[in-house]
Amino acid sequence: MTDYVIETHGLSVYYGRHRGILDVDLRVERGEVFGFLGPNGAGKTTTQRVLMDIIRPTAGQARMFGLDCQKDGVAARERVGYLPGELSLHESMRVSRFFEMYRSLQRGNADPRHWRTLSERLELDTERRLGQLSRGNKQKVGVVTAFMNKPDLLILDEPTTGLDPLVQQTVMELVREASQAGATVFFSSHILPEVQAVCDRVGIIREGQLVATERVEDLIRQHFKRVRLSFATMPPDDAFALDGVTVLARDGQSVTLEIRQHLAGVMETASGLGITDIETIPVSLEEIFMAYYGRGNGGHNA
Amino acid sequence: MLRLLLQELRFRRGAIIGWGLGLCFFPVVYVGLYPTFADQMAGFQEILELPIYQAMGMTMASFEGYMASTVTNLVPLILCIYAVLNGTGTLAGEEDSGRLEMIVALPIPRWQIVAVKAFALGVALLLILAITASGAAITLATLEGQVETQVTPVGLFLNLLAAWPLAMAFAMISLFLGAFSPNRRTASMIATVVVIASYLGSNLTGLITSLEPFENFFLFRFYEATAEGLERGQQAGNTLVLLAAALVAFGVAVFFFQRRNLTVGAWPWQRGRLPREASS
Repeated sequence: MTDYVIETHGLSVYYGRHRGILDVDLRVERGEVFGFLGPNGAGKTTTQRVLMDIIRPTAGQARMFGLDCQKDGVAARERVGYLPGELSLHESMRVSRFFEMYRSLQRGNADPRHWRTLSERLELDTERRLGQLSRGNKQKVGVVTAFMNKPDLLILDEPTTGLDPLVQQTVMELVREASQAGATVFFSSHILPEVQAVCDRVGIIREGQLVATERVEDLIRQHFKRVRLSFATMPPDDAFALDGVTVLARDGQSVTLEIRQHLAGVMETASGLGITDIETIPVSLEEIFMAYYGRGNGGHNA
Repeated sequence: MLRLLLQELRFRRGAIIGWGLGLCFFPVVYVGLYPTFADQMAGFQEILELPIYQAMGMTMASFEGYMASTVTNLVPLILCIYAVLNGTGTLAGEEDSGRLEMIVALPIPRWQIVAVKAFALGVALLLILAITASGAAITLATLEGQVETQVTPVGLFLNLLAAWPLAMAFAMISLFLGAFSPNRRTASMIATVVVIASYLGSNLTGLITSLEPFENFFLFRFYEATAEGLERGQQAGNTLVLLAAALVAFGVAVFFFQRRNLTVGAWPWQRGRLPREASS
């Protein structure tokens, strides 16, 4: 049980009769960057709030560092940096004062000036009052708050929301650096290329249920393949009319296929038709994600 | 913890100064005008002692009666309104605005968060009252010789300060309502009704004898805003009742806040339950 930094068993949250999350079994290993994907209302924020003991589960268990998030929540949260999805702060405070206050309350042992370094990297003016900041700058405050005590676990709810692309890149660098330093990162995001770039594993949550937990490359590899086959002469229209095979394009003397099953059958057919070249087309995490939600090619019934 | 407390007090600094000076203006004007009022009403003793005033335990015929009918009657009521606004704003308001999420995510037990905020609220109420009472006492001291009364400036100061347990009781009730009800608006609405009902109820039980058995249900009854109360000071027993009410309300606030699903906005009985098909 203690091998995992985050572990949930049958975790369910109901808001009255409305489902938040249902029967979520999740394990995040020490030192990994775990991306939590799902559309709005799927249950990402609810899961993170249960871990932070902001919301109590209706059923099931949630643990961080082997500690029960509710009973031993104080001890567990000492090692966590948290960025909520909707950041709201006391507008009259100066940014620097807020960091000093929050740093002391987090009980961390990190360098007290670390927030200055982080603020400089994110180009955040710490002498301004929180109420004077734009949405993007407030988000930077949240990012610095989460990272400043160099926690063992970072729980980030859409950390790059409202940030410009350059700052998004910096935040992803911070995630990578934290991971390299041994921290575990559990973050939700809608920006799938960034998830693909930094995550070791992803969990896909759909209507409150965890429908997939895979290493990013495995998820992409296992889900479907996309290939472009070239021939000396164009094959007939129905040459690849096989179950689980979709013809995406026919162009000149090449055919682009999306293959979910019968890869051997496709290769056998292609061989018989005089294949001259084969090219594998990379599939993005975004396409996998869309397929899980039935908005891409074919859909997924998980 | 100390840093959180200091920060809580810093957040309330503006309100303490604003409410303190604003509320201070009220007794300063009433005490300051008393010599003029007494001169102008010198020939109208029968008006100053009208049965309706007497039935309500009020009389304008003496400085003590005048003060009881104005300052010591209304200052606690106004302060209780501040207590409701701030008491419901402390947990429920911060939850509604989203600020509480960052605090609860800290490695601090929830009961300590409530305790720090309750303590800061209590200090704010005491300071507002101290500013107000100081204004009244200083004004009375400057009128020495112009006002015929047994009440000393220190006595007036202490009498107004004795409204703190009353305000604290309503602040803690408001804090509890903030931890219990789905949002600040609901908590404020209920707390305001409680304050007004308590104020009116306390006055009505003095007028209508059939209501007397219910007088102990109204917290305002435990702060004696009468000429006698001003002359002899507040009774220790009444003060203890108010402090006990504040303590009980604080305890209930902690109980419900410990169990609250923050950011959800629901009554305690609306806690989610697994549907049968999900639990089977």
